[in-house]
Amino acid sequence: MDRDAVREKSLARYKQERDWFALLREATKLLPGEEGRLQEKLLTILLDSKETVVDCVENEKSFIAGYFCNAPELFHAMDLPWYMLMETPFLAASAPYLLSDIEGAENMGIGTDLCTAIRLPIYYIENGLMPVPSAVLGLLYPCDGAPMLHQVLEHNKAWKDVPIYSCDPPYTSDERAVEYFADELRRMADFLQKHTGKTLDMEKLVEVCEESNKSYTLWQDYNELRRNVPCPHGWEIGGAQAFAISQCFVAGDPRCTDWFRQLYKCGELKIQEGKGASATEGWKEKIRLFWFDIMPYGWIFELMPWLEEEWGAVIVMDMFSNFPYTLIDTSSEKTIFHGLAKRNLLDAPMIRQARGTAENFSNDIGRIVKDYKIDCVIWPGHMGHKDGAATTGIMRETCRELAVPFLHIGLDLFDRRYTNPEEVRTKVSEYFRGMGLG
Amino acid sequence: MIVGGVDVGSATGKAVVMKDGEIIGSDMIAATTRPQETARLVMEAAVRQAGLSSIDHLDNIIGTGYGRLKVPFAQENVSEISCHARGAHWLAPSTRTVVDIGGQDCKVISVSEKGTVLNFAMNDRCAAGTGRFFEAMARVLYCGLEGISALENQGEEPCIISNQCSVFAESEVVTLVNEGTELPSIIAGINISVASRLHSMVRRVGLVEDLVLTGGCSKNDGLARALAAKLDIKIERLPQDPQLAGAVGAALIAAEKAG
Amino acid sequence: METDIKSEAFRKFLEASESIMNPEVRAWKDQGRGVVGFFCSTVPEELFTAAGLLPFRMRGTGSTSTELSDAYFSPINCSFPRHTFNQALRGEYDFLDGLVCINSCDHVRRIYDNWIRALKTPFVQVMSLPRKVGEPQIDWYYDELNILRGQLEEHFGVQLTDQRIAEAIGLQNQVRGLQKQLYLLRKADKPPITGAETLAVMVAGTAMPKQRYKELLTELLEELGEKQGSRDYRARLMLLGGELDDPAYIEIIEKQGGLVVTDSSCFGSRLMWASVDEAEPDPIRALARYYIHDRPSCPRMYGLQPQRIAFTREMAREFRVDGIIGERLLFCDQWVVENYMTELDLKEDEIPFMALDREYILSGEGQLRTRVQAFLETLEARGN
Repeated sequence: MDRDAVREKSLARYKQERDWFALLREATKLLPGEEGRLQEKLLTILLDSKETVVDCVENEKSFIAGYFCNAPELFHAMDLPWYMLMETPFLAASAPYLLSDIEGAENMGIGTDLCTAIRLPIYYIENGLMPVPSAVLGLLYPCDGAPMLHQVLEHNKAWKDVPIYSCDPPYTSDERAVEYFADELRRMADFLQKHTGKTLDMEKLVEVCEESNKSYTLWQDYNELRRNVPCPHGWEIGGAQAFAISQCFVAGDPRCTDWFRQLYKCGELKIQEGKGASATEGWKEKIRLFWFDIMPYGWIFELMPWLEEEWGAVIVMDMFSNFPYTLIDTSSEKTIFHGLAKRNLLDAPMIRQARGTAENFSNDIGRIVKDYKIDCVIWPGHMGHKDGAATTGIMRETCRELAVPFLHIGLDLFDRRYTNPEEVRTKVSEYFRGMGLG
Repeated sequence: MIVGGVDVGSATGKAVVMKDGEIIGSDMIAATTRPQETARLVMEAAVRQAGLSSIDHLDNIIGTGYGRLKVPFAQENVSEISCHARGAHWLAPSTRTVVDIGGQDCKVISVSEKGTVLNFAMNDRCAAGTGRFFEAMARVLYCGLEGISALENQGEEPCIISNQCSVFAESEVVTLVNEGTELPSIIAGINISVASRLHSMVRRVGLVEDLVLTGGCSKNDGLARALAAKLDIKIERLPQDPQLAGAVGAALIAAEKAG
Repeated sequence: METDIKSEAFRKFLEASESIMNPEVRAWKDQGRGVVGFFCSTVPEELFTAAGLLPFRMRGTGSTSTELSDAYFSPINCSFPRHTFNQALRGEYDFLDGLVCINSCDHVRRIYDNWIRALKTPFVQVMSLPRKVGEPQIDWYYDELNILRGQLEEHFGVQLTDQRIAEAIGLQNQVRGLQKQLYLLRKADKPPITGAETLAVMVAGTAMPKQRYKELLTELLEELGEKQGSRDYRARLMLLGGELDDPAYIEIIEKQGGLVVTDSSCFGSRLMWASVDEAEPDPIRALARYYIHDRPSCPRMYGLQPQRIAFTREMAREFRVDGIIGERLLFCDQWVVENYMTELDLKEDEIPFMALDREYILSGEGQLRTRVQAFLETLEARGN
């Protein structure tokens, strides 16, 4: 295949995703209220970033593949467009092509017990369906799957010559670990400057960090609103979008701060009006849930709305909505990198829980249950979370001590065939009924 | 030279007698609880059919299949993978991929021009994609295995059975029956479900045409059609009973090793 | 295990590989000496030896169920930690005076968290193993080792001088050398020792006092030096994989006629193909460099797949291997992806390769036999 054809193929899935989200954006225009406008704005920013990447590929401009926990403040300060290798499963939102992609991954013969969010990028990379960037920032944590994915990337003939750098993750979480990671980030910044032709201007970095501090402060404030009974927002708006906007697209950008400002206002208004998550006539919030993972993006519409409507069960907090991002002290290069290291090693969601020892699970549960008046903790039990699976005993014990019900489901967040939505609903209903919830 | 091949499976025992490269006798019986017994009975029957008086007249016998270690009168045993490859290839020399759907396992074998094994994948850990799955479904539908073949109607819109585990798929099918879904539609869904499983295995091993089906379940036309549709190819039917492919392969190998 | 090896040493090795507690450990404990368990071959045994302790590599040998550990782990967790932890919950590891865990993989690292909550072993530590293998990572691990050294000194009341550590390194290097000699015997057309027997010898090396093991292994090598091997095999195989500590698994492969003549595995060549640099004046630095960088890696270490496949190819060539079997424990993310890449690489080399999934406790013998038999038949057909 000639170069143009290879390039076109590598963008095929990416463009398909872009088109899918363009469709969703049209749908959000029909959503009522300010929340609808927030969704629309998020999708506009998302599409904008996707168009930028497409433009970079088609016009051979610099861009990278990176992650939300690779200090995206740095890319933003360097004006470096980027995308995430695991974007597809995380953004899937029940996309129609997801299942055939998962089947494609299966047909490659890689064990079906490997996390679907890892198999999908492997499938895309090995089949030339991922845009090849100027440089790659790999991910070696929190789980075993992440480094293996990047090993495949390095092994792949089309990606072999693309420079790649990955930060090494310490297992501990003390000052020594943060300092070590800060040095890894410094090396990462050097790497980016070397291979993308962009420079890191410290003043710009200060600006970006300070802006991100504003965004995250607003996010914290917004999260406090969700402590309210009833919770002003449900699964539809809140953490997932907040995470996307601040991590994947506009870290340290005024558009992000604006968006959070809007989000906060929406929440505040809802509280003033005494309204809960659902606009359905006569609806009442009955069960406050802590969904301890990302949403089941592969089939989200088949579970989340049902939880709210059928059971009055609101996901007050989930794994990605809650991370108390420490504010960065921008007084010096040292404090900035220290702050970035803390954020990306200790605060980032999923990283925070899965990377180190199990207190990260039990502490989170303890904090959230108390602060958000949680009625039931759900460990969805995604098939890729092997360390989490080995922590279920500890989570159960923690919940027992807190006298809060704990439900372990066992599913695939992306593949609806693993435990189909009907079965999940049945399991949840039986549990709620058995525990006298709602 | 007269040789024999006996394939002792979980559900059936098959035997073939060959003389100078031609099949002169064969038989298939339901498996007894003792593999040695099954082997002896079916081999004796095949020998009789060949017009011979005793197993002793055979110059060499190879045993294969799940019970291959329990065939005392066989000189050697060879894996059913090699035997199915050889057998299917001899029956249809254009064979390059064999999909064997047996009683309790299924396999995909990539076959060379000479009929030797290049690569293979097996599922012998669960019922999905095997005769056991169909048996379970036949029970739930009260239609018997023949019913599964007979009742499928090509025009029906197949329903979707999403469960990969046959135990859970049973519950899914019961629900469909209770909801009043038409039987042909359910059966079409079952066939597609099994075909999906096999499709995945074929892709993993790598599809090279011609692809042939062997094993008891291959006689299910609906399944064959579903698999052909998934792979977007034409599946050729073996000229002889596809359940005998393993035994044929064993006999061929017996001839090779003796000659 | 059926064996024609006569030496008493081998009988002791076999015994050690078939159980958790063995007479050598019993005798050691009876003398009032300490035993420290550890997971993963990147934990430097030399430090325990230097502290006068017996380093014991953790296994779930003899486990028949996970009834107790099921309350802590899930069905999608690897059977190795589930069975090992189950044995611990049953009291099989009550003899431990300490345990050092490490973040080797998602499943095993949680043994640390569950162990400290469920069991009373004194001195349980967890180490932080880097993923990368560059200089900053060697520096990090250097610090980790010094931290462990301090912890051992404090808890066990010993002085871990550079001298003592250097001596322990010397002893372990000698053991490595002897084990390598054992492997080199298998290059022969008629190897005097099978793969299953070799694994028993290697596992025993992680389950008895080092000095004692060295003496016994020397004795065994004497017998093997004289012993006539057999040419009665269908193919020479290399075994590629991780946590395989059960000789019975290899026995099944070898019963089909596939003689395992070499490996890259967690209780195999990776333990001893390279040695710790004794010329390095700082023994902790020598250990850090060895465990992070110098020894053959497993897929847990990032960026080294090209070196690993080169090692595999070199082994296959040196030992005149006909085919390679890559085994992995179900639910292992690291090995399943490694096998995927290995398969692609070996296909280019036209070296026959078969990937096998397994459970930690041997099961599905019939299935294993069928696959191995088919693989051997394929190898033979190639030869024609």
